[in-house]
Amino acid sequence: MSLKNRAVMVVGAGIAGIQAALDLAEMGVKVHLIEETASIGGRMPQLDKTFPTNDCSMCILSPKMSECARHENITIHIKSNVLSVKGKPGDFTATIVEKAKYVDPVKCVACGLCEDKCPVKVDDEFDMGLRKRGAISRYFLQSLPSEYTIDKEKCLYLTRGVCRLCEKVCPANAINFQDIDKEIELSVGAVILATGIDAFDPIGFGQFGYRSYKNVVTSLELERILSASGPMGGHVVRASDHKEPKNIAFIQCVGSRDESINHNYCSSACCMFAIKEAIIAKEHMKELDVAIFYMDIRAFGKDFDKYYEKSKNQYGVKFIKSKVSEITELEDGTLKLRYVLENGEIKFKNFEMVVLSIGLEPRKNMRELAGKLDIQLNEYGFCKSNTFSPLTTSREGIFVCGAMNGPKDIPESVMSASGAVAETTKYLRLERQEIKEKKIKEIDVVGNRPRIGTFVCHCGINIAGVVDVKKVAKEAKDLKNVEHSEDLIYACSQDCLETIKKRIKEHNLNRIVIAACTPRTHEPLFRETIAEAGLNPYLFEMANIRDQCSWAHMNEPEKATEKSTDLLNMGVAKARGLQPLERLPISINPKALVVGGGLAGMNTSLTLADAGHEVYLIEKDEKLGGNLNNIFYSFDKDPQVLLEDLKEKVSNHKLIKLHKNTKIEKIDGYVGNYTTTFSHNNEKQNVEHGVVIVCTGAKEHVTEEYLYGKSDRIVTQVEFERMLKYNQLPSPKPKNVVMIQCVGSREEGRMFCSRVCCTKAVKNALIMKEKYPRINTYIAYRDIRTYGFREKYYTELRDKGVMFVKYDIEKKPDVKLVDEFDPDSKALVTVFDPIMDKEIEIQADLIVLATAIDPLPENDTLAKMLKIPLNEDGMFLEAHAKLRPVDFATDGIFLAGLAHNPKDIDESLAQSKAAASRALTFLNKKAILAEGTIAEIDESKCTGCRYCEQVCSYSAIEVDDEKGIAVINNALCKGCGSCVATCRCGALDLRGFSNLQLFDAFDAITMTDILGE
Amino acid sequence: MIDKSIKRHKLKSLIDKKETIKSFIVSLIDSAIIDAVLLPIKVPSGDSFAWILIKDKKILNNAEVIAPIMPINVANALKQYTRKGKGNLKIAVLLRPCEVRATIELIKLNQINSENVILMSYDCIGAIPMKDYIADPVNGDSTFNNALNQIEWNSSKMKEVCHICEDFSNTTSDLHFAFDSKEVIALANSKKGEKVLENFNENDNYNLEKWQKEITKISQERAKKKEDSFEISKKMLDGLDAIHATFANCIGCHNCGSVCPICYCRQCYFDSSTSKPNSDIIIGRAESRGGISLPLDKIMYHTGRMAHMSLSCVSCGVCSDACPVNIPVAKLFSYVATQTQKAFEYSSGESLGDTLPMKEYKLDEMGELAKLVKSAETLESENE
Repeated sequence: MSLKNRAVMVVGAGIAGIQAALDLAEMGVKVHLIEETASIGGRMPQLDKTFPTNDCSMCILSPKMSECARHENITIHIKSNVLSVKGKPGDFTATIVEKAKYVDPVKCVACGLCEDKCPVKVDDEFDMGLRKRGAISRYFLQSLPSEYTIDKEKCLYLTRGVCRLCEKVCPANAINFQDIDKEIELSVGAVILATGIDAFDPIGFGQFGYRSYKNVVTSLELERILSASGPMGGHVVRASDHKEPKNIAFIQCVGSRDESINHNYCSSACCMFAIKEAIIAKEHMKELDVAIFYMDIRAFGKDFDKYYEKSKNQYGVKFIKSKVSEITELEDGTLKLRYVLENGEIKFKNFEMVVLSIGLEPRKNMRELAGKLDIQLNEYGFCKSNTFSPLTTSREGIFVCGAMNGPKDIPESVMSASGAVAETTKYLRLERQEIKEKKIKEIDVVGNRPRIGTFVCHCGINIAGVVDVKKVAKEAKDLKNVEHSEDLIYACSQDCLETIKKRIKEHNLNRIVIAACTPRTHEPLFRETIAEAGLNPYLFEMANIRDQCSWAHMNEPEKATEKSTDLLNMGVAKARGLQPLERLPISINPKALVVGGGLAGMNTSLTLADAGHEVYLIEKDEKLGGNLNNIFYSFDKDPQVLLEDLKEKVSNHKLIKLHKNTKIEKIDGYVGNYTTTFSHNNEKQNVEHGVVIVCTGAKEHVTEEYLYGKSDRIVTQVEFERMLKYNQLPSPKPKNVVMIQCVGSREEGRMFCSRVCCTKAVKNALIMKEKYPRINTYIAYRDIRTYGFREKYYTELRDKGVMFVKYDIEKKPDVKLVDEFDPDSKALVTVFDPIMDKEIEIQADLIVLATAIDPLPENDTLAKMLKIPLNEDGMFLEAHAKLRPVDFATDGIFLAGLAHNPKDIDESLAQSKAAASRALTFLNKKAILAEGTIAEIDESKCTGCRYCEQVCSYSAIEVDDEKGIAVINNALCKGCGSCVATCRCGALDLRGFSNLQLFDAFDAITMTDILGE
Repeated sequence: MIDKSIKRHKLKSLIDKKETIKSFIVSLIDSAIIDAVLLPIKVPSGDSFAWILIKDKKILNNAEVIAPIMPINVANALKQYTRKGKGNLKIAVLLRPCEVRATIELIKLNQINSENVILMSYDCIGAIPMKDYIADPVNGDSTFNNALNQIEWNSSKMKEVCHICEDFSNTTSDLHFAFDSKEVIALANSKKGEKVLENFNENDNYNLEKWQKEITKISQERAKKKEDSFEISKKMLDGLDAIHATFANCIGCHNCGSVCPICYCRQCYFDSSTSKPNSDIIIGRAESRGGISLPLDKIMYHTGRMAHMSLSCVSCGVCSDACPVNIPVAKLFSYVATQTQKAFEYSSGESLGDTLPMKEYKLDEMGELAKLVKSAETLESENE
């Protein structure tokens, strides 16, 4: 094994594992991706939609899955488990077992004939038992790898020695009953664990009647019911009688926040999960009545509170703060809920369906795995890690990400995955990658008359079962410029790909059209194939007659055939205009610019510098550390020790050029090639770098509420923490301290949760209790949001007798000074207590306000300089809320820390590692290739009206002020075509997808203009 | 309503409004507030006007100041003047309110740079249709000048779109000349305008109440007329058959697009090679339904133009003047524009601060559009 670029083993191929594998692969690292099930994807494919954007889960995941399955640096081992990891960091030997699949993956074309014929029908795990599958099956429709596998436990032949039907029907001869489990040794530099979590099984929860009452389902089962590709086809119906329920109750915290089952933690995602399901269900059925029974609504993530408010105001979802004590089933299957309101009142209400919002718990096999890998688990059985090293396990060289070390939602998982990748880099001896040279010389086709070859795929029966493939292929022969046309059983199989290459040579073909499944998954493969035959890969066009014909019109074979002919005809018309396109190399400057020297900025800089890259770290203040300077306590170690450690390392690292007291004046350029001007004491300096990481942080909101500033005894949590640290509490020692939460947060103008304040209040109250046990503490809150393992401290605080009073936004606590002319006046707090059902008055010697976290006003300036967006609150807006949480849509710019959203120390540490990791996917390449399909401009037609600028998500087009003409940055253009569609002057066009080609394609079938003149 | 604090100045009254304004412009040149002015001058043949950027004060004597017709929308002239950036000279230009609106739209579209331009507007009584004027210029002049000096708001001699124009008075110009019977009062609508008026010592407290009432009244009357006119336009565009009938005599000259200030493309798509299919395809189309009308794309041209410019259409009516076959394009486009602008809660040319609807994305904007569609649907079902 070479010393450079050691391989990495990633265990678990859920979204975290996939992200980790992709980041590593892009850095040029070989990855072994180990997955227990028969497909990569993890939990996400089971989900219908994702909060808070309601994106289709599969739609956003699927591109990452195909990229992962296709990447030359990633080897996927499905149906595999880790047996052991031996050796030392940088030089591990991992042993895995790859279970027998009994299907040859090279031969299988996933036509599905075998499963149709399989006599065994068992509960399908993916659909939570709501659907049946065969003993030979694939995990789900969009499984990757897409091959079928045989379930050894269920197969009649493997258990009883009879059947072998699949073997008989398989047209590809792919069944192999001789297959055996294989042990494989892998030599790797580091290991990333991402085995995820299990959903809590509520079967033991007698009072909710799961499995005994037929209309009680889990939130995960409901997810499958809601999914259009699920067992109910996306109709909200009860599994018992397929009837639409009139009303649904969600019961929160089933298996979460429950000490009795050692789950004294919050599962973090279920509140939002329930709100999302409630919204989606309401979108399906407007009349549906949805009630959510909850303890606290924990909508603490970015834009979550807006989603929560929307569910109430726009969708009419009802939220009932109460504990459901019992459910009884009536004769007709209706469920009678008995629940207790805050004031102790007992109520009953009938629901036609009940959804248990089940929590998350460690995988069943965690202990076994921990033993094999020699890693420690925490008190609940999750993988153990620390606040200040959230991605490390107890064993050096083995890292953890995703929900394996604690409940996380998708973006947190993605961040931790990229973060874990950054952690591995120091064991991998990374080497900057060159662009691979083309092996095969391209045939020059420019100026040649088009000689088009068309190939029509049967895809077994997937297409040919509906479409008359032979007829489609035959009719294509008569089209102008078509020199060859044939049908292929499986166009993507190895032998058919060879046929295509052979035909290109035989018939001197210079443009290829394939009518088959879909370009989403297969275009890259076909492009590669024609490139191997010497054609420019862009001389390829695809007609997706599976997705759009045989699937969409499966009951109308004639029409499906006619449409297939039309689509192929259009493809040929478009192909006539195809020209070879070049992907130009863009060199990458290996240096980075990090804006902001707080926790995130320092951690990002150190990670990049440790990976061997020079970093310009720009801090506007005199001192490093940002908001961390004000944090003195954590549940783990001393934050000030962390701060001092980071400061020292940053100041002494020879690759980090630290610029304090410095202001950025100008940033020019694009990915790989930035020039930045900054000034220090009016002295300007220019530097060149390849990427930018935005770590500018945020600030504490300055409130005017609750008489803040009118008395020294009304302070913020930040001020209070300092008072605690330096023993500066007013003397004589206060008797009563009142903490007020959500000061400025979660209300008009700041409709977001500041995320850290609940935990901060709990933390500071605990420390106060410890230092001064006799002080009475009152916490006025709206929802206590101590998510994840923070819940434990909340419970502890309640046990210590701190009084929690829930207040409503309509009835905020009232604060009055005892003597308004005394700058040290005590105060009187009046607040309505729902438990006592009346207003209470508290003589407060000290009031502590949990003030909101505000975005920096100067974000706007930097956003304009970098041409990156802010959200409506003024926080930087990432490329995708779920799957690209540290990227911007513009290549080469990344985001970490409070500039993204309020977050805790551990989360900032993980995110800044993630930003570094994403940056390394560029920095570790000497050059990248620009897209071939990009926009181009006809300067004589451009009016410089700037419409195109507005619609470009990638800041790839800009009007040159002097010339008054739009200029396209080829390095940034992704070829999405938005600008072309927007350009009313017809000055823009897309290479390989030109307006003329599109019109030709229309003309090929319609022969009529739209308005029929 | 006119803000009380708005800076105003009563011009020295001369024999008529044109002379009054002209003398004000002369004083602007004399005091070096402007270097040149863009005004119409009668062409030698006597039946039209050309806009001349006047540097020489002597030529100013020949200026018509307010022409009875609109051979062009002056925004188009400004577009050419500042195409390559702002000029170095300070110029003033006198525009009809619809021309100011077109200018505002073109500024937003990056086609006009108004930095060194002072936009001046006036209470517009309308413009005479080009064809009528060319037929009898002498009569045209006297009709127009009488109407102007009497401030005859509802002269039947004006263009169709003028009859239904509600925004004929104070606009987003820098200086607006309000016509209060015999008096001409300059109103400063911008910092630029205020700066101009600072040069005139006698800062008036002229009471505009009467004028304001009159303008409001006329505007309301026009709104009613507009509704009636739109009923007719709606029928002319109701469905494909109606559209075919309305545009049947179009000869495809594209004049309407050439004179339109909002059609700012360098080359119209319908004049480009992309829109020219080969004969096979044309024959194919003819084959598929028995025959085909040539030249191609007449309806596509008009609907395409509507799609492109209706959000910015200012209903100036130069398109109708330019149409050799008397298609009432102006009225029709004005109708469509009113609907599309309503859908996006946008009013073309009203303010530089409003973003063009297609240049910004609002989460709920399609919701508004949906509401509109919905209300149209309910209307329809009610009608049924």
